[in-house]
Amino acid sequence: MRVALGYLATVGWSVYLGGAIAMELVWRPVQPDLPPAQTGVVCQRMGQRYRWVALGGLGLLAASWGAATGGRLELAAGVGGGGATAGGWGDVLLVLCWAALVGLVLLMGLLVHPISHRRGPAGASDAVLAASRRGRLRAIRIMNVLLRAELALALLTTLLLAVPGGPGLGRG
Amino acid sequence: MTATWVGVLAGYLHLLAVATYVGGSIAMEVVLSPAQKFIPPAQAQVVAQRSADRFLVLVWSSLALFPISGLLLFFSQSDQSVGLFTTGLGRTLFTMMMLWVVLVINGAVITFVLRPRLANRAKSQGGAAAVAQRLETMQRAATQISWVTRVDLLIALFIVLLGASMAYGKGLL
Repeated sequence: MRVALGYLATVGWSVYLGGAIAMELVWRPVQPDLPPAQTGVVCQRMGQRYRWVALGGLGLLAASWGAATGGRLELAAGVGGGGATAGGWGDVLLVLCWAALVGLVLLMGLLVHPISHRRGPAGASDAVLAASRRGRLRAIRIMNVLLRAELALALLTTLLLAVPGGPGLGRG
Repeated sequence: MTATWVGVLAGYLHLLAVATYVGGSIAMEVVLSPAQKFIPPAQAQVVAQRSADRFLVLVWSSLALFPISGLLLFFSQSDQSVGLFTTGLGRTLFTMMMLWVVLVINGAVITFVLRPRLANRAKSQGGAAAVAQRLETMQRAATQISWVTRVDLLIALFIVLLGASMAYGKGLL
């Protein structure tokens, strides 16, 4: 059972982190090779799918970690002692990082990314179209910052998961 | 203390390599490829080619990291006297190494045999029949790459299972 849960946690985290790395190191550098309109189409479609893949990966990690640790997370007791180990600050940090990552994915997937593809209404005045364009550009800038913050946080979380005897599932 | 830090670093790099290979492959298959259907074929080919070029760098980096970080992790956290064929951990480790070799061979086939066939278009000369033949070769190569990539993903997922059985148990085999 522990092996199965460890496997699912690893696959869940791999799906999430690998996806984030592929988006940052594969898709983003390819964008300048495409006309902006085509980039917009691909980006929009990918964003719609990626948010579910990312949430699925994070969900799988949470479910398997929660099942494997069986309520090990005792925040009050953990904060009191134990250091960055199982049952201590490590658990709290891992849960906080996980919650922040879910928040970032939801923020980008449901709010910022859709805004970055929102077009002004057909037949709108120049002022409305210009405002819409400014909004899109602002959303793209925010996305760039959030994506890098997300990747940095994901790499930190990977370190937490890799510490032997830390908040990961531990060793058999 | 040094051994602990070696273990942490090895574990970190190993998890990073696994995530890059497995998660990256899934993202390429489930996120990037389907999105290409919504743009004209010529542009889709540009996206496919450029993204595959970049992803192959990540794949080879991960494949290089697997044995280095994996063996460091193994020897920093387990009994040094584990026999390769006499214990469950040893047999599992040996199977993982054999499957890693399969991934390397498949990666080499994709990189050095199948992808050059896809890039043949620019050299196409010799009339309509030759162009049609080249197109057929390219389509066959694209299909083969797609299948080899999927097989690689399944193998990688099985390797992760073997790795989990070593990390959280006594080995699967």
